[in-house]
Amino acid sequence: MLLSVFSRTARDQRRSLMVWIVALAGLVGMYVAVYPAVKGSSSFAKLIDEMPKTYRALFTTGSGVDFTTPAGYLNTELLTFMGPLLVLVYAIGAGASAIAGEQDRGTLDLLLANPVSRARVLLEKFGVMVAGVTVLMAALWVALLVEGSAAGMDVPLANSAAALLHMGLLGVEFGALALLVGSLTGHLAASRGVAALVAVAAYLINAFAPLASWIRPARAASPFYQYIGNDPMRNGLSVSGLTVSAMTIAALVTLSVAAFRRRDVLA
Amino acid sequence: MADVVRLESLTKNYGRHRALDGVDLVVGAGEVFGYLGPNGAGKTTTIRLLLGLLRPTSGRATVFGLDAWADSTAVHARTGYLPGEPALYPRLTGRDLVAYFARLRRRPTDVAAAVQLAERFDLDLDRRIRALSKGNRQKLAIVQAFMSEPDLAVLDEPTAGLDPLVQQEFHQLLRETTGRGATVLFSSHVLDEVERVADRVGIIRHGRLVAVERLEDLRTKAVHRVEARTFGPVDLGPFAALEGLRQLSLEGGVLRFGVPESSLDAAVKALGRCRVVDLSVTEADLEELFLTYYSEEGVDAA
Repeated sequence: MLLSVFSRTARDQRRSLMVWIVALAGLVGMYVAVYPAVKGSSSFAKLIDEMPKTYRALFTTGSGVDFTTPAGYLNTELLTFMGPLLVLVYAIGAGASAIAGEQDRGTLDLLLANPVSRARVLLEKFGVMVAGVTVLMAALWVALLVEGSAAGMDVPLANSAAALLHMGLLGVEFGALALLVGSLTGHLAASRGVAALVAVAAYLINAFAPLASWIRPARAASPFYQYIGNDPMRNGLSVSGLTVSAMTIAALVTLSVAAFRRRDVLA
Repeated sequence: MADVVRLESLTKNYGRHRALDGVDLVVGAGEVFGYLGPNGAGKTTTIRLLLGLLRPTSGRATVFGLDAWADSTAVHARTGYLPGEPALYPRLTGRDLVAYFARLRRRPTDVAAAVQLAERFDLDLDRRIRALSKGNRQKLAIVQAFMSEPDLAVLDEPTAGLDPLVQQEFHQLLRETTGRGATVLFSSHVLDEVERVADRVGIIRHGRLVAVERLEDLRTKAVHRVEARTFGPVDLGPFAALEGLRQLSLEGGVLRFGVPESSLDAAVKALGRCRVVDLSVTEADLEELFLTYYSEEGVDAA
């Protein structure tokens, strides 16, 4: 029946998704609780201003540091570093487990022996990953608004949604990369590892581009640039960023389907 | 009889290693075909090619006239599969698993069939798969392979881990399956099992199908070992004339030779001319004999 691989996989991930939601809400709560202390101390901002340029670039890519507004604070602390890190962990895990995880557990044989095409199995499992990321981003958004307003912080509704949409796409891009490696090789560790390494490289390319001219041409290709470089918390949605992200995802998924349909599924 | 499975010079390489080497085989509807050979001979590779999990290096495998690789989805709709050492989703219950596969097959009524099969094999579908013993997991694998009443059942070492009573029930299930016109192809390295349920046997060694025989023919060719302790002189002449004779020897009064079933009567009559103190006739291991038979045939032909 329609979407039965999707619904089975989604059910299997239900519990872990709940844990993620609780953890994210807790994380937002922590950041919100710390804000009054950070806001009050000008020395914190000064400290960051006085950091060596390279060091600062590493942690505050994009718009620089602004702790005077809630939006600036959350942007620097949650949305440019910890948020992407967590969504990447989730998405890469889900993308790797889609095919490679199923093969690693030995269940891929029986699954594929049913009258379902490999493309359908892959696309439905990709769908679960997208749905999972969407749920996490929605949970983050709700947590930001609810916990922020409870603490008297003014969180911009539309721009935070835009930032989270971009962040979700960032996650899905690397999840799709993990899916591709899994489709090609069937190795769980390889799909996680390759995607994580590429993510680190992409992060550094975006972070160091302002400092080193030779990196700059590569910056536009970095999914982190599509997201943070456009600074959606300040500027809202970036159409070009969305377009490039969507095209990257479409290309990775298309390649995954082609690779998976062609490959031997070894015992 | 319509061909259900047809392999045409089917070859599969893993890198440089040739796992399957030009196998030709036809299995007809309603047949139970036993695929026999030592581990690593190419049984599982053949089965995975039939299910479209592997793509042939050269040659072709067709099932119901459909290409096993290109049209695998259509093949799967009519095929039940039991993998060797089946890995089932450990966190699901048996019922979850059969419900999932029934949905994938778009045959929701298969769940009821699975429940019946489970009762028959005394399997609890409400326990988590993780908590099932190896034998019970194998039962569940059997249940999911047969619940859709497939036209073809492809079974890789189906009775591994089953106790003898359950094996009997399983063999009964195979008979019912062929009784409704469906086909069974199963692999085994247990000769006894193949002997009991297969109509035809294929023997595979080092990726080559070295022999395909009807089991009845095989039985009559099977060599019986005769060992007679004799007293007094023995004239080897009548024994040497026995049809299909092999390995005739007389040492210290002990006469040993092998003959097929068809020559047993003549052998007993030849023994009647001697003074026999002790006599034993054993049917030699069919596999061993089968392989000797074919390797010798190969030598003769060469």
